[in-house]
Amino acid sequence: MGHVSKRLYSSASKLTVSTSQLKQFPPKEAILRPDSGKPNFFDPESWATLQPPPTSALTAFAHRIGLSNVLSSADVVRRACTHKSFVNLHAKYYPSSPTPPTNANLATLGNALMGLFASEHLHAAYPHLPTRVLKAAVSAHVGPLTCASVAQEMGAVPLLRWHRQPTTPMSPALLHSDALASIPRAITALVYQEISLQSARRFVQSFFLSRQVDLRSMIKFRDPKRALIETVEKFGHERPKSRLLKETGRYSNSPVFVVGIFSGQDKLGEGFGSSLKMAEYRAAEDSLHRLYLTRTPNHLLQVPSSTFPSKQGNIFKAGSEAPYTPGVLGEAEILYASSGRSNIVAPKRPTLEEIEARRERLDV
Amino acid sequence: MLKPRLSVWFIRGYATRIAEKPPARFPDPLNHSNVVIKTLKDENLTFIHRPPSTAPSPHSTTLAPASALLKSPTPSNKRAPMPPLLRPSAYNAVPSRMSDKDMEQLRKLRLSNPEKYSRAKLAKLFKCTPNFVSKVAALPRPQRKEFARKMEAEHETVREQWGEKKATFVAIKQKRREFW
Repeated sequence: MGHVSKRLYSSASKLTVSTSQLKQFPPKEAILRPDSGKPNFFDPESWATLQPPPTSALTAFAHRIGLSNVLSSADVVRRACTHKSFVNLHAKYYPSSPTPPTNANLATLGNALMGLFASEHLHAAYPHLPTRVLKAAVSAHVGPLTCASVAQEMGAVPLLRWHRQPTTPMSPALLHSDALASIPRAITALVYQEISLQSARRFVQSFFLSRQVDLRSMIKFRDPKRALIETVEKFGHERPKSRLLKETGRYSNSPVFVVGIFSGQDKLGEGFGSSLKMAEYRAAEDSLHRLYLTRTPNHLLQVPSSTFPSKQGNIFKAGSEAPYTPGVLGEAEILYASSGRSNIVAPKRPTLEEIEARRERLDV
Repeated sequence: MLKPRLSVWFIRGYATRIAEKPPARFPDPLNHSNVVIKTLKDENLTFIHRPPSTAPSPHSTTLAPASALLKSPTPSNKRAPMPPLLRPSAYNAVPSRMSDKDMEQLRKLRLSNPEKYSRAKLAKLFKCTPNFVSKVAALPRPQRKEFARKMEAEHETVREQWGEKKATFVAIKQKRREFW
């Protein structure tokens, strides 16, 4: 099947229109009168895209995700499921109708809130994680692809109203996953607006932060031995040394070596491999993984946003929030393996002689 | 075929048992230090846990961290037996700290003529390692790029002379390196 027919098939299967909600079916514009001289401009696909989803589906969605008190009316759900790209399409075909409200503002607010909750949760859970891994983990938990898949799991795909936009010189293409991702973000913002920050955090916790993400596969190194040497120096321990723990089949075609990296008497990590260098590389990676993946147990995990008051009241007086003990602050990460300014080359600044020469030239 | 025995002293009369390789005996892999044998207090039961030897997991909690960096270092005991170091060069003594005069001299020589005063040559002269020379007397970036380009061109001419098999084996090695 070519890509054109595949696209037609998939779009046709997504465009299910409930005819019970319509005043008249087939619609007036679809009826072709051969005797009138008017040309036919009707396109059934565009017409199907423009129809709003039925109210029953919107109400069912609100109850399915357990937020019927937040998404109290079908209009609110309709707003949350309308992407801003839909406005132009609607105005093109129904110029006299009022523009449908979109989820653009709600999605922006929700995105910021999800970023806050995910960052503080992961920072509290993994105090020794380096910055670049923390950023990757936040993207894995609340990034655009995750939001799109959560929206699919919620069942928001037939409710989404959007319009595909190809790449233009001024903007990148709009993808289905980006449009879908706006729905959970809008819902987060609505929970925050209607109820409280704590409820919004509970929503994000249950849908996003409870997902299993394998951080170990996300942590890659260009030179783990060098990163380990700098990390050990930062902690003030003895310089690491690699030692051979076990080996077998050295001169055969399938040797196995187990190498451990020691700082004095303490073993920092161990790794296996089919060559000595490979085993040492893996041992260095294991040593750094053991440091980075140290997790705070759930009964001790506390996030700073839990100190915000949950009810309206006097902001200058302490409320009835639970007592908060800040978590352990990890050791400041090393420059080599961080996402700092290591690859940025600043433009060369003029030396004093050059500045003086320029000044002399101007004077002359 | 019967050979006439010309001299009796060629026949050995002692230690005539034919050497045999002893049968291979493998120790029980579950008899290692991680075995836990505990007698439970309430009932007359003994709990025995003999897990198979597996690679230790890097995941741990802040209450019992797996990384030795998060605990205080154990006091060094020179007598305790440790596994052997990985490579013979690790047994060499660490070179003593270089004096400032020597470092300036090293920098002067390296930056004056990097081709004549190569890293290896300077390392032998000043009794340090070539990596130390790179770190202390780093060449300016355009010069470094120039050297890298020249080296790359030389390597390219060598690589062109390789046959198909050699090129394939090298490519396989590089791919395997990605999976470390």
